[in-house]
Amino acid sequence: MQLRKRKMGRVSRALGLVTANLFVATNGYAQAVPAPQPPATHLGNSSGSVTDDTQSDLGTITTDGSVLFYQEKGGRVKAVEPVARLKFTGENGDTFSLKATYDSLTGATPNGATPWKETQTFTTPTTPPGHEEAVTGASGNSTIVIVPGTGARVAQYQIAPHQLPLDAGFRDRRYALNLSYSHLFNPNTRITFGLNGSRERDYRSYSANTSLSQDFNDHNTTLTVGVNYEYDQSRPHFGTPTPLTEMNGLIKGPGENKHVFSVIAGVTQVMTRFWLLQLNYTIGWNNGYQNDPYKIISVVDPITGAPQQYLYENRPRSRTRQSVYLGNKIAIGPTVADLSFRYYHDSWKVDSITAEIAERVPISSWFYVEPDFRYYHQTAASFFNYYLLAGQPLPSYASADYRLGRFTAKTIGLKLGFKVSRDGEFYVLGEDYKQTGASTVPGAPGDLANENLFAGVHARSVMVGFSYTFR
Amino acid sequence: MKITRSLLAVIGFSCLLSACSVLGVKPWDRDIMARKSMQLNTHPNLTAYHEHIYFSKEGSSGGRTFDGGGCGCN
Repeated sequence: MQLRKRKMGRVSRALGLVTANLFVATNGYAQAVPAPQPPATHLGNSSGSVTDDTQSDLGTITTDGSVLFYQEKGGRVKAVEPVARLKFTGENGDTFSLKATYDSLTGATPNGATPWKETQTFTTPTTPPGHEEAVTGASGNSTIVIVPGTGARVAQYQIAPHQLPLDAGFRDRRYALNLSYSHLFNPNTRITFGLNGSRERDYRSYSANTSLSQDFNDHNTTLTVGVNYEYDQSRPHFGTPTPLTEMNGLIKGPGENKHVFSVIAGVTQVMTRFWLLQLNYTIGWNNGYQNDPYKIISVVDPITGAPQQYLYENRPRSRTRQSVYLGNKIAIGPTVADLSFRYYHDSWKVDSITAEIAERVPISSWFYVEPDFRYYHQTAASFFNYYLLAGQPLPSYASADYRLGRFTAKTIGLKLGFKVSRDGEFYVLGEDYKQTGASTVPGAPGDLANENLFAGVHARSVMVGFSYTFR
Repeated sequence: MKITRSLLAVIGFSCLLSACSVLGVKPWDRDIMARKSMQLNTHPNLTAYHEHIYFSKEGSSGGRTFDGGGCGCN
């Protein structure tokens, strides 16, 4: 009886751990919150089984190191992102985790202008002589030009006829650190604190979050509420351009800031012996500078479609985002299906739906495969336009950033997992991500009707990692 | 009006919890739930990569957790 009581107490504590962190633990990019805890039970599994992965994490240290290799087609963005994660789990269920990320980005990114049948020339600021360090923004294929009459030193790059205008000097490095501490007050209540910071050449981001989770119904139900505050500093290398003014080579204004306050509320429910469900609602208020300082929009002739001007984009300074997320884990024999859906809506009128499915299939006690598919569709922001027409009043807001346009994206991937020991796993995931959308705009003027205006991404990525738990 | 709304909210919340209480399993039936593969986030690093890619290439974010981005990529 004593043994049974001890065991049940351990099971209860571990199940509390499992549910408490289930829904706040996934956006590892910005929010360092603890990963879900495995339960402390060996019930129902014999050694060597394809599902023999139920060891407790209490009193362990888990390490997880991985690298992402990401490449977009057409000579666009290329990224390499190593991540190292350490998690300490105490015998009392408390956890402390630390994650360090380094991100190296190079390549070209669309500058927002429309393609045209003739060569286009774009002018950007440049560094003073002797300071030619690599920066985010145009510099890669640019030539330095002295503007006649003014003597100003600017950079210019040209785009060939019918080609999507790309800013070829995109180059950046990012460092990020995430810390998280989670305390189990009692078997039913957990509180978590997180701190995050990241630094790029032209951007800083800091955030802090906390969440409280409460178990009910024999640990079958967990309710969680959390809040997050994020403070971002945008420091474009050549300054912040005045919105909707003409692109030029002059050094721009001072940096700008953004504040984000977010709330999350959710429930995690054990539905049956085979089915775990998670339902979240999130709302976030973004206030401050939200333009992309490197993006422009073409102003074209209303008859011929020829570009006449390039203006810096402008987005509203306020944006409220909301989403409802439904996640499911369903065991079907030795396999596990991961099914999730998300509906997203924001005050810029971007609506989106996302559906994901992955199926983990154990092949042997040490090897499994997991194919996955993701479907995503979004509507365009209310101020999104591929171009503006010359001679018409300027709108208050305008952006030609394809990420705010209407498109569909599909991801298809395959993960392989190798258990190299009871506590070590090597994993590799390959994925293909492709955005599709309308390439022409009804009523586009003149020869612009013949150009492919869609600037969506087609990328391939490989992620490899190794995790190990020290007991 | 405010009191009515609050009352409705409390009743709704109670109903939700009551509904949840008829679901679930007994502790001794948690063998499958106990598998690591049944966690909602089995590979946090991979999830982080996905969040990063989608945040920087799409107009939406959030859902699984807070909606912030933590980078200047969007």
